[in-house]
Amino acid sequence: MSFLIRETLTYAVPLMIVALAGVFAERSGVINLALEGIMVFGAFIGCLFVRVMQQNEVFVLLPKSANWPQMQGFILLTMLVAALLGALFSLLLAFAAINLKADQTISGTALNMLSPAIVLFLIRLIAQQNELTLFKGDAASWFMLKKSMFGIPKTTSNFFVDTFLNKVYITTYVCLILFVVLSVLMYKTRFGLRLRSCGENPQAAASLGINVVKMRYAGVVISGALAGMGGFVYSLTTANCVANGDVAGFGFLALAVMIFGNWKPLNIAGAALLFGLFKCTAAAYSTLDINGDGVFLLAQLSKDPVWGKLLNANFYRLLPYLISLLVLAFTSKKSRAPKAEGVPYDAGKR
Amino acid sequence: MKKLIALMLTLAMVLSLVATATAEVLSADDIEDTMTAADGKYEVAFVTDVGQLKDKSFNQGTWEGCKIFASENGKSYKYYQPANGSEATDDDRYDAMKAACEGGAKVVVAAGFLQASALTKAAVEFPEVNFVFIDGWALTDANGNVLPNVAGVAYKEQQSGFLAGYAVVMEGFTKLGFCGGGGGTNPACCRYGYGFAQGVEAAAAAKGVNVELKYSWEYGASFSASAELQTMCNGWYEAGTEIIFACGGTMFSSITAAAAANDAAVVGVDVDQSFESETVVTSALKGLVSSVKWSLAKVFDGTFAEIGGQNTSLGAENDAVGLPTETWSLTGWDVASYEEMLGKIKAGEIVIDDSVLEAGAIAEVPFEHVTIQYV
Repeated sequence: MSFLIRETLTYAVPLMIVALAGVFAERSGVINLALEGIMVFGAFIGCLFVRVMQQNEVFVLLPKSANWPQMQGFILLTMLVAALLGALFSLLLAFAAINLKADQTISGTALNMLSPAIVLFLIRLIAQQNELTLFKGDAASWFMLKKSMFGIPKTTSNFFVDTFLNKVYITTYVCLILFVVLSVLMYKTRFGLRLRSCGENPQAAASLGINVVKMRYAGVVISGALAGMGGFVYSLTTANCVANGDVAGFGFLALAVMIFGNWKPLNIAGAALLFGLFKCTAAAYSTLDINGDGVFLLAQLSKDPVWGKLLNANFYRLLPYLISLLVLAFTSKKSRAPKAEGVPYDAGKR
Repeated sequence: MKKLIALMLTLAMVLSLVATATAEVLSADDIEDTMTAADGKYEVAFVTDVGQLKDKSFNQGTWEGCKIFASENGKSYKYYQPANGSEATDDDRYDAMKAACEGGAKVVVAAGFLQASALTKAAVEFPEVNFVFIDGWALTDANGNVLPNVAGVAYKEQQSGFLAGYAVVMEGFTKLGFCGGGGGTNPACCRYGYGFAQGVEAAAAAKGVNVELKYSWEYGASFSASAELQTMCNGWYEAGTEIIFACGGTMFSSITAAAAANDAAVVGVDVDQSFESETVVTSALKGLVSSVKWSLAKVFDGTFAEIGGQNTSLGAENDAVGLPTETWSLTGWDVASYEEMLGKIKAGEIVIDDSVLEAGAIAEVPFEHVTIQYV
């Protein structure tokens, strides 16, 4: 059970934070299709930063992880760098969509094509191959939190410790906290209200003295920062801090999660967890012991002569997508996108 | 315009000077992966398998053989990666070989059994170029004639797999895993896997213990790392697996990530991977560097006919398989015992079945001391 929750969070957290990135852009009135591209870019920047820091021995891993707080600081710094560069990259979209009033779908798609190309080009220059790996060691031994670091002996085992303190990355918690804080920002502050109004009726917002251009820039830049950070979190937690110009379509999945979650944070969190749960089940079904009785139910079912015909690895891998389709089919009627998203702001149109 | 040309020429000369000056160094890491030949021709060409050049395994080992040979003998060298990465088609591979031949290659080293059909096409079209087909076999053209300019070099992976399996059980591991690349169709990986299982069985019988072996080709079809592979291995380790044989290129990265998270262990493949991660206990080696150098030497001293058009299978008797003894970390089984067992394999006293058991066929093999869980 602890394993299932941990691994589900591993998949769900990048989805959640990047879907929230999408919400910030769209609530301000700009469709951010470039989430995937910004994630790829953020993952690259993060991995590059870690690699360069390792190479120059700015941070050195001591044996037995005695300096783990320093490593956590290192990772927070890297998240910040990835977020900053992600925000910078998203300015391209903001400029095209807001100043040039370009078609947002097309400029977003352009960024999605541009980003892997630039990233692979740079990776080839740096590493003479198609992927940028850590300079030394692996992500887990450098950055993962283990219970021994908190002075909990290896033999101690209870649900809380196993689930939340052992074999986790600090990025998970940072993202969850950010998710809550930013959701509050969007719904409970003056800034959030103004941002949302620009996505619904920018002319009305402007008539009340709100600077629509500024607000939309803010929306896109926050979006870029979150997506860039999400990209790095993805590569840290699931790809051993390797950048290869690809985030396995998580940016597009995040878009789907955002629509699935009806542009509302709470629903998005639920959708991301659901998706993460089934992704994790598909990959780890052979060793999933849900109720802790030592029986791997799903693995047994897949070997069953009758049930195995349906409930096998392929079916488990299909599940996340099947469930998404089903839920969408039942909920999409109530789905409501921000009214003015995708429409360039024209002050003369009232 | 003239000035520009003069400048370019000067630059080219300076660069080629640099290239020849550094050609003395012999450690693979010190040799640049890209060099600039003075005449723009590259005599030793390498065409990669799927996966990265620097996969810290199969491609890299083969490439290091090429690089070291070329530097030692003052030859120019270049690598070609077929387009489209792990989705490369036969056309992409052929294009890479054609580019190599047209780029002045005297010999093209092609790594990986997937190259067969592209290699056939290229070998027919460029009969004056020699091809070394690593993990491959002698090829025939459309009329069934053996192509004399292709040398098939394969390895007895089952022997090093056997030794690795024997070693980890002697070390005291009883819950093992095997994650293979190529989706269960790659002959080299199948031989590694079956050899590993046989070694495990032999050691378990010798120690009188029962051993569990999880056996999977999932998420390894393209030999690449993936979030899913990492989750699967995390699940294995969580459920008690102590060591996983990471049998395939870049997959290593996902498997060691899972191992490091769970303070568990990994067996490396093809080259000594203990330098890449502390989780690596031992590696099932095949002598890529030495055999590539050996076959390249035959190209340049005019004795290529000895291996051209033939299948060469290199095993313990050629010192082409084994475990790394310089970085030996096992305590339950020492180097002397290993050497003794290797000697028995060389002498033919221990014979390891070299059948290629594809996909789930391993589950049908009756083992006495090993319980195979095919995932």
